[in-house]
Amino acid sequence: MKRVATLTAAVLLAVGLAGCQVKSDAGGTSGGGEEISFLTFETPNLTPDYWNAAIKRVTDKHPEIKVKKLVAPTADGRTAYAKQLLQSGQFPDVMIAVTPAGFAEAGELYAWNPDELKDFQFPTANPIKGKYFQLPANTQTIPPIYYNKKLFADAGVTGEPKTWDELLAAAEKLKAKGTTPFVIGGGKDGFASSMILAGIVSTDLYGKNKDWMTQRREDKVKFADADFQAALTKFADLANKGYIDKASVSRDYAATEQAFLDGKGAMYPMGNWFAANADTKKPAFDIGVFNFPTADGKLIVPAYTGGGMIVSANAKNLSAAKKFALAFQLDKTQLDQSVKADGLFPAIKGYTPPADTGPVFKAGYKLYEDAVKENAVVHTFRWETADDGLLPGMTDKVDQAAQDLITGRKSVADVAAFLDTEWNKAR
Amino acid sequence: MRWVRPSVALVVGAIFFVPLYLVLVNVFKQGGKIASSPATLPVPPTLDNVVSVLTRPDQLFWVSLTNSIVVTVLSVIVLIVLSAMLGHYLARTRRTWTRVLTLVLLAGLMIPPQVILIPISDVLRIAGLMATLQGLVLFNVGYYVPFGVFVFTGFIRGVPVELEEAAVLDGASRSQVFWRIVFPLLRPATASVMIFLGVWIWNDFIDPLIILGPSQGTTITTGIYRSIGQYQADLGSVFALMALATLPVLIFYLALQKQFVKGLTGGATKG
Amino acid sequence: MWPKVWHFLSFGAPGVLIYVCFVLAPIVISFWYSLTNYNPFNPPISYVGWENYFLLFQDKEFLTALKVTSILTVIVVVVPNALGLGVALLLDRPGWLYNALRSVFFTPVILSSVVVSIIWSRLLDNEGPLNTFLRFLGVENPPGWLSDPDVALYSLASIVCWQMLGFCVVVYLAGLQGVPQELLEAAQIDGAGPVRRFRAVTWPLLAPSLTINTVVLLISAFKTYDYVKVITNGGPGAGATATIAFNVLATGFDANHVGYASAMAIVMLLIVAVVTAVVLKLLQRREVDL
Repeated sequence: MKRVATLTAAVLLAVGLAGCQVKSDAGGTSGGGEEISFLTFETPNLTPDYWNAAIKRVTDKHPEIKVKKLVAPTADGRTAYAKQLLQSGQFPDVMIAVTPAGFAEAGELYAWNPDELKDFQFPTANPIKGKYFQLPANTQTIPPIYYNKKLFADAGVTGEPKTWDELLAAAEKLKAKGTTPFVIGGGKDGFASSMILAGIVSTDLYGKNKDWMTQRREDKVKFADADFQAALTKFADLANKGYIDKASVSRDYAATEQAFLDGKGAMYPMGNWFAANADTKKPAFDIGVFNFPTADGKLIVPAYTGGGMIVSANAKNLSAAKKFALAFQLDKTQLDQSVKADGLFPAIKGYTPPADTGPVFKAGYKLYEDAVKENAVVHTFRWETADDGLLPGMTDKVDQAAQDLITGRKSVADVAAFLDTEWNKAR
Repeated sequence: MRWVRPSVALVVGAIFFVPLYLVLVNVFKQGGKIASSPATLPVPPTLDNVVSVLTRPDQLFWVSLTNSIVVTVLSVIVLIVLSAMLGHYLARTRRTWTRVLTLVLLAGLMIPPQVILIPISDVLRIAGLMATLQGLVLFNVGYYVPFGVFVFTGFIRGVPVELEEAAVLDGASRSQVFWRIVFPLLRPATASVMIFLGVWIWNDFIDPLIILGPSQGTTITTGIYRSIGQYQADLGSVFALMALATLPVLIFYLALQKQFVKGLTGGATKG
Repeated sequence: MWPKVWHFLSFGAPGVLIYVCFVLAPIVISFWYSLTNYNPFNPPISYVGWENYFLLFQDKEFLTALKVTSILTVIVVVVPNALGLGVALLLDRPGWLYNALRSVFFTPVILSSVVVSIIWSRLLDNEGPLNTFLRFLGVENPPGWLSDPDVALYSLASIVCWQMLGFCVVVYLAGLQGVPQELLEAAQIDGAGPVRRFRAVTWPLLAPSLTINTVVLLISAFKTYDYVKVITNGGPGAGATATIAFNVLATGFDANHVGYASAMAIVMLLIVAVVTAVVLKLLQRREVDL
């Protein structure tokens, strides 16, 4: 009996201790008074130090706010993680770059009023049922095509392709020279498989009909329609002609980026955040960038504006949470940092990026500014997050569809039918 | 011909060892060299990767290590006590009802934790145990008790009932008999339960991720995943973290190895 | 005699209680969800009867996952079992070399499956060490281990086998230690060769080890999730390596269809329970016969 008693005592003691021992590694909390929790995520560009410094800048200005930093386990999984937290009753007060769709309709998010959004360049980006839940903090162009100037020169490609035919011609020359024309990835990071498809659908379909996805939601159009199938065919052709290496559909994002930086392929269609790494990693060749070519060379630039903070409608200190979110997103130093670290284009009125950014970022930013002037910006297929976005769970299916086309496992018609079937299930 | 077996064993072992070798050499290699020459020996070796992981400003490794040790040790102790007792009950009572109970418990071995995670967070929330270490420990106990029972029941059947009855006749209470006489005989079974459950709980990912939540700090596994986000391009640090996270279980296994091997089949073969 | 009820209350009840709270009750709740259209982002919940189950068996995605899970399970049950026996026979000798090798084989068992996944996805990458080695040997087009949809599932299964092999080795080694030396010697005196001795003496006595290995492999293979999540995310393409466990989470958390995902989970649970029960029964009957 003694042994049992000792054991029990030990267990109770340990449980008791455990209760006190739980520590947060959240980098501590800073500030005082009104506490809020803030969900972040970490990437090679956005390190713990980046977030801590950013939070500190805000709490220095607003010492009454106390911030508890939370970290999502993976960058890509942050939205799924926020869902899990909501379901398990631990929904954070403020979240950055978490997709608002779903949370907003369920009434979990605070809807910003026009006055609060007055400093943002596109206050009406991403409407959900006519309201605005995510601060439209920055714009990302997805996907411009980054290219290896040395490989282009070696293959005798002169000038940057503007039309689809010029792109195909460039790819053919590169292939003839033994260079893989397009660098893509996949594996656990499915978006790296569907970048080109996103570009084709955005320029070909959205370029003609900006409301295509809204109409898909209303069943007025289908993936099996001729125009969408034509986009799929264009994509499948790239793979059939050997411009995309089938074997790279299992390569994760980090390795994909590395492959391009190592000169293992000539063109890298990727979101403009790549510019930050292109400038800091300084590969052995110069990197150029051009807009995703359209069928006839008309200027159409796919982009996504959003990426900012969302605030829980049920935050304990809602006013502090709102104040924190706005102060964070509008802080000039913070914007400069996000430009340098993550290559973002802040969508804040009157903001200009710092002068000392790298050449790749500058080139990409110029393409975007020109497109804004020409009013040639469309949303990017697969990356939209609002009422005009894919249904929850569909982005994975689009990535899978892209992979099936690359590996040639499914025909275009089969892929289109697959997308329609999954769409109906996702409702 | 005496050299045949050792050389075959060595070759098979070496092939099997290749993936582990890749981790080991790259822990001590400069980050830049890993991608270009993953298979070469680290010459000269460097401790940079290990040091950078251990000295992160947010103490991620140390905090995670503490959390993991607390959760694993507590869960395993409670599990051993409860499953040894339940195993005793099932081994000594052979009725239809115990057979059904055994089956129901066995079924529990097969349930993927993902399947019950959403309802479990409801249960824990009602009990006020969500986002606490105690909640995670209780869940671990519930989820792994079938395995402990599975191992202990077989083993206890190998212990003669007469032994217990004799002791009872000498005036000892039932639980005294169990803890003083039967339990010490179960040492090999205890060792294998300790190792398996220790390893599983230590390596568990999805449960601590949800039940502990983000505000209570991470366990060692959730910590690794999180830092992979930051380190994804820095393979040296990833490998260093993986090696450091595995080290405690490896030591634990090597310490208990002998007992553990006996415990695995001891119940069934009376070895 | 000690009253059975008291025995249960003092010894059995605590474990059973916690099990009921944290496993059985959640399963019942899951089952209830599976009869509804529960979507946390689209309230209210309404009862839909068996509709989710009907949909499930017309759902190509689910049927594919069923196939993927079955193939994976068969490989993961058979291969480490067979290889594990071979390695155990090889290592069943005293001496530091064999001791060291035993630890080598067991090390993967104690690694986290995500750590294993990270190691292997680097190793099997198209430009990774394995293909570099194959090219060095003169293989011009080494397989896309993880990128070819027809190969990826088998690569994934091999990774699981690699991790589980050590477990089988250790269990068989323990079983081999229980084989009485006298019996083997007696058989040898009777003129039985090594093969004959193995079949007549050793193999029957390893029956309990076979049972343990098979059941543990069966159960862990059915649950395969982490490897899929980290290595292939279910691809390449639609469903090439998506297991049921993987689809349950994708449907429940990414697409928010908790009701439908719960139906999947319940079906999965039933399949695992039936298969394991049958296999266990067969193996135990075999143990008795031997």
